[in-house]
Amino acid sequence: MISQHLPVIDSINFKNIHKLLINFIKEEVKRTGVNKIVLGLSGGIDSAVSCYLAVSALGSDNVAAILMPYKASSSKSLEDAMLVVKNLNINHYIIDITAQIDVYFDKIGSNKSYYNNNSEYNKSNFNFEDKSKESNYELKLRMGNKMARERMSILYDRSHILNSLVLGTSNKSELLLGYGTIYGDMASALNPIGDIYKTQIYQLAKHLGVPESLINKAPSADLWQDQSDEKELGFTYKLADEIMFLLVDKMYKPEVVISMGYDEDIVHKVYNKIKKSQFKRRQPLIAKVSQRTINIDFRYLRDWI
Amino acid sequence: MDLIKLSLAQIAPEPGLLDYNLEKHLKYIDEAKQAGSKLIIFPELSLTGYFLKDAVYDVAINIKNSCKNKENSKNIENTGLNFKTFNNYNYIIDSLLDKSEEIVIIAGFVESDEDYNFYNSTFCLSGGNILHVHRKVYLPTYGMFEEMRYFKQGKEFGVFNILGVNSTILTCEDAWHLSSSYIAVNKGAKLIIINSASPARGIEEGNDKFSSVKMWEELLSVIAFYYKSYVIYVNRVGFEDGIGFSGGSCVFSPDGKKDYSLEYLDEGLLNIEINLDFLKNERFKTPILRDENLDITLKEIKSIIDYR
Repeated sequence: MISQHLPVIDSINFKNIHKLLINFIKEEVKRTGVNKIVLGLSGGIDSAVSCYLAVSALGSDNVAAILMPYKASSSKSLEDAMLVVKNLNINHYIIDITAQIDVYFDKIGSNKSYYNNNSEYNKSNFNFEDKSKESNYELKLRMGNKMARERMSILYDRSHILNSLVLGTSNKSELLLGYGTIYGDMASALNPIGDIYKTQIYQLAKHLGVPESLINKAPSADLWQDQSDEKELGFTYKLADEIMFLLVDKMYKPEVVISMGYDEDIVHKVYNKIKKSQFKRRQPLIAKVSQRTINIDFRYLRDWI
Repeated sequence: MDLIKLSLAQIAPEPGLLDYNLEKHLKYIDEAKQAGSKLIIFPELSLTGYFLKDAVYDVAINIKNSCKNKENSKNIENTGLNFKTFNNYNYIIDSLLDKSEEIVIIAGFVESDEDYNFYNSTFCLSGGNILHVHRKVYLPTYGMFEEMRYFKQGKEFGVFNILGVNSTILTCEDAWHLSSSYIAVNKGAKLIIINSASPARGIEEGNDKFSSVKMWEELLSVIAFYYKSYVIYVNRVGFEDGIGFSGGSCVFSPDGKKDYSLEYLDEGLLNIEINLDFLKNERFKTPILRDENLDITLKEIKSIIDYR
């Protein structure tokens, strides 16, 4: 059977990849008539890599980092984000999002009376007490999504004030698995790392000189305490990335990937996650009525001028 | 010594901005002239940009309408029609025709014909005339490419005389079909000019080039060596919707070796000199072309077609 695996970003191919990513940021930003970017810096490896690339492309004066902790965010995250800020000597803003998140969930979002007054929930005999008991996870997920969208909303507001574009920080693994919040952390103007798997992000980070303390910690969306991407997904990025490389980059069918020795359950799990999250990667559907419809047969580059 | 001075213009066209792209062409043409070059080659669709989609319709030029083209202007006068009103972009061809009095210019554009078909075309201008137009034959329509959706196929791999040397123009995917260079060299081409818009793609361990670049350079070397020709590859750079074109324009000599090259991913002008004595020498030492048996090829191809 064919032996193929996800290529490593090594010291030899790094030079070209680095140049391509830097030119991408430089040229795609310049084209819009803006020369600055703003990005959310979480203390994780993905946003750090995006940030290092942005500074290489545009210079430290043209990159601003926004740090947006919630009260449950780990203090290590903020420390690590500050380490990036310090190393790259870039402008930064710390905006704590606890107040607005808590107001929403205390007063509106998770309030028992909200559910009781909502006719839809009454019809379906929804019982909030039972719901919250059985599914603490559900609330965590909603809060996580809300935080991601709050951060997006702040980033876009800041991008207006700073006359900057929002730089994306989602890697190929999470984009494919749908492990991100639509219109939250998945939103950006341009994303330099969206075609690079998480496994490769670590390799890229090393070559870029991202501090070790960011590289050597378990991947986490840090939406609640001790959250772990890999625990939540049920497989490691290393394994998922190898499988996705074969499914997506190589376009092998799941049964072929299984025949290459990968665990059947995990291959199907990964494949289904990719399919089920397709909606997150595309624009909303538009009902075609006219002869020429946006994104269907009104076809231009985004870079159309 | 049989030398030709020429320039490879590795530019980043802006999609849809013809005026901007024309200015860039003129700047590079002036630089090439100053360097003493007699020929300058621009990439595929250099005047318009590559992933045009529906904008193909907006940027097309009917070169037959160009009044400055000496030969065509006679024909236009004869018809008594003012074709100039048909198209707004004639001034682009006209200003390049002016420049071609001093240097031969090869550049890419979207061509429309009198039947309103569109082609991914490349012109060669010389002495104020349109010397040759190559309409891309093999239009990639798979993966990220959708050329067949917009363009009509060209019909031939023409060979024409540039500065006394029989030459051909192959546009990007044309060169991936080895039959194109086979036809051209057997029609007498010694200079194979390949203009392209090739996206950089594919990471490989231990390889300082993108996979796409590696495959291109292997192909160019094969064409140069086995067809004992000079291969001049001019690829564009810049980004369109996140897709980066790899550049790395280069010249392979008839011994299959890369003689000159530009950087990957950056704009640049390469002024070089090729020596046709070297080509004669290679063709004498390794007379593959002399021994080529077109009758066998024809017989075999005919039987393939008949069988199908």
